[in-house]
Amino acid sequence: MKSFDVIIVGAGAGGGVAAGILSQAGKSVLLLERGKSLDFKDVGRDHLRNQRLSQYGVNAGPPLVGNPRVIIYPNGEKHVVDPTGAYHNNAATVGSGTRVYGGMAWRFLPDDFRMATKYGIPDGSSLADWPVTYEDLAPSYEKAEVEIGVSGDSASEGRHRPHRGPYPMPPVPMNNQGRILQKSAAALGWETQRIPLLINSVERDGRPACAGCQHCVGFACPVEAKNGTRNTMIARALASGNCTLQTEVMVERIDTDSAGKVTGLTYFNQSDERVSVQAQVVIVSGGAIETARLLLNSRSDRHPFGLGNGSDQVGRHLQGHYYAGAMGRMNDPIWDGIGPGTTTATIEFNHDNPHVVGGGLLADDFVMMPVLFQKRGAPEGIPSWGLKNKEWMRDSYRRSLFVTGPVHEIPSPDARVTIDPDVRDRWGIPVVRLSGTTHPETLRTFNFMNARAEEWLKASGADRIVQNQGGLWLSGGQHQAGTTRMGDDPKTSVTNPWGKVHGHDNLFVADGSLHVTNGGFNPVLTIYALAFRVADQIAKTW
Amino acid sequence: MQSSPFSSDQTDILRSIVDRIIPEDDYPGAWKAGVGSYIERLIADREELVQQYELGLTACNEEAVAAHGHSLLELSESDRDTVLARIESGSVLTEWIFDPAEFFRMVVRHTMEGFYADPGNGGNLDGVAWKMVGFEVTA
Repeated sequence: MKSFDVIIVGAGAGGGVAAGILSQAGKSVLLLERGKSLDFKDVGRDHLRNQRLSQYGVNAGPPLVGNPRVIIYPNGEKHVVDPTGAYHNNAATVGSGTRVYGGMAWRFLPDDFRMATKYGIPDGSSLADWPVTYEDLAPSYEKAEVEIGVSGDSASEGRHRPHRGPYPMPPVPMNNQGRILQKSAAALGWETQRIPLLINSVERDGRPACAGCQHCVGFACPVEAKNGTRNTMIARALASGNCTLQTEVMVERIDTDSAGKVTGLTYFNQSDERVSVQAQVVIVSGGAIETARLLLNSRSDRHPFGLGNGSDQVGRHLQGHYYAGAMGRMNDPIWDGIGPGTTTATIEFNHDNPHVVGGGLLADDFVMMPVLFQKRGAPEGIPSWGLKNKEWMRDSYRRSLFVTGPVHEIPSPDARVTIDPDVRDRWGIPVVRLSGTTHPETLRTFNFMNARAEEWLKASGADRIVQNQGGLWLSGGQHQAGTTRMGDDPKTSVTNPWGKVHGHDNLFVADGSLHVTNGGFNPVLTIYALAFRVADQIAKTW
Repeated sequence: MQSSPFSSDQTDILRSIVDRIIPEDDYPGAWKAGVGSYIERLIADREELVQQYELGLTACNEEAVAAHGHSLLELSESDRDTVLARIESGSVLTEWIFDPAEFFRMVVRHTMEGFYADPGNGGNLDGVAWKMVGFEVTA
């Protein structure tokens, strides 16, 4: 049987970072990824099959056939879905979501790590403090910003954010919508800041600056200016000579010996043959949904409910982000066509809002595909078809101003990943069953943030404002988090504050599953930072 | 060229519908912009959708005949709009074996997708919809 120092499941944000650190530290690493490695042409620019709009397909995996999931809706209806449905998909490719993301590189705020203490715990929620503070994580945030590459403007960050040094790169160019929003926010007395992005604003790491294209979020970068794990940490892992990357493989279970100790894992290789490999250390980085699935599927006599699941915590507290926001129409065209498009944000409402728990970020948006603009729907009074609809599209696309942002979700223990008893994937592995919804408090915060978005647009001079629509639903998707939350108490958490699964010496999680709460920010920089923290600690103590 | 899943009568009815969903003005209407090709390509391998279209297109035409004594293609634009609005609202004169409003919403959705999505999908010929709205691809 083949043996490695470390096996990492999933070559996304967390797994890619862990692979880079541990192989550069001299460990032999096997990095397993269920998707393919995709170049720019493979990802393509199909406006109906991409990570932004998966109407009929996806552009970064997984394949529509052979990878089902089951979702139970609040009314009890059960559906078997493919990645275009209510699948809560994250990309399955080398780099995972980091291959096709927009790359907003937010640090969470200090209060994001202590939500329960700050706000109290709403009835029925599983709101909790993190076992680490912002200060604990700050060095890992900085490492992520430097190693992967973030552009931004620390001087623009105001009183709501801890002071920090300069970003590795200056911000990407400003645009019209950003200038308008800066001005109107100032009139409202709100601070704005430039948005930190995992995008080269200048040549760096042997790759050029952003070309300003219109297909950023949801697509691959035409000039490799977007920084993800594929072109940074995984590339360095492979260059070290210590990392073996296998793509299009599927892990079935983590193996344990008769004493319950993790010994390695079993997976299906590219030829669909079942292979077992040994390892000193296993790191699970499949994203919050697939990581929970693998732990739950790794049952044995010693672990009858799956690994790390002695307290029935694995798979619970699934969180993503509700996106609050509003779109309005300006008097004149404001579109200057410069990608990525997103430039300006306010964190004025991430905390300390009246009568709601938490809050969220509001920012201008990436350049929007016309078909997505159309699908958002016309404002009241504009018919959904006919000449008037066409005229509205023609007159409004370049005049529209959209502000939006993630709402800090209030987790529910009933928003869950479990294993479906009946449905299996093409390898015969039991698949994920998703059920539950976010806590109703999330919806209250969402409504509050929608109103702030409308306020910002009004102050900018927009009319025909339409707020984002919300209901009580399950949230996961690209920002999925929370299913193996970290904590000090094994009764209420799955891993310790270093990502080590309680009750195990050599089983770790490094992805968004660790998040106790998911912040009112895009989570990827926090996923990166935690992976640096987890992997650095493994390297340091071994 | 792929072969069309539709008969020439059905193709005529489809054209008469999508060209009211996105009519021609200074910019081409849906059909000229390739929406027909988009829909044909989209449903080609999906027998269930082909059947829905075949039944739906025939039903739309029968609705026109019932209301105005002429096929959709022969009606004036405003009469066609009246027929389509009735189908959209679900208050139809003829017997439908499925939800007319749902069928119409699907045709609207597909028409919009064909017109505004990337030309690689078969519609939006020469990026005409993108020129119209002002979406410019520079890199």
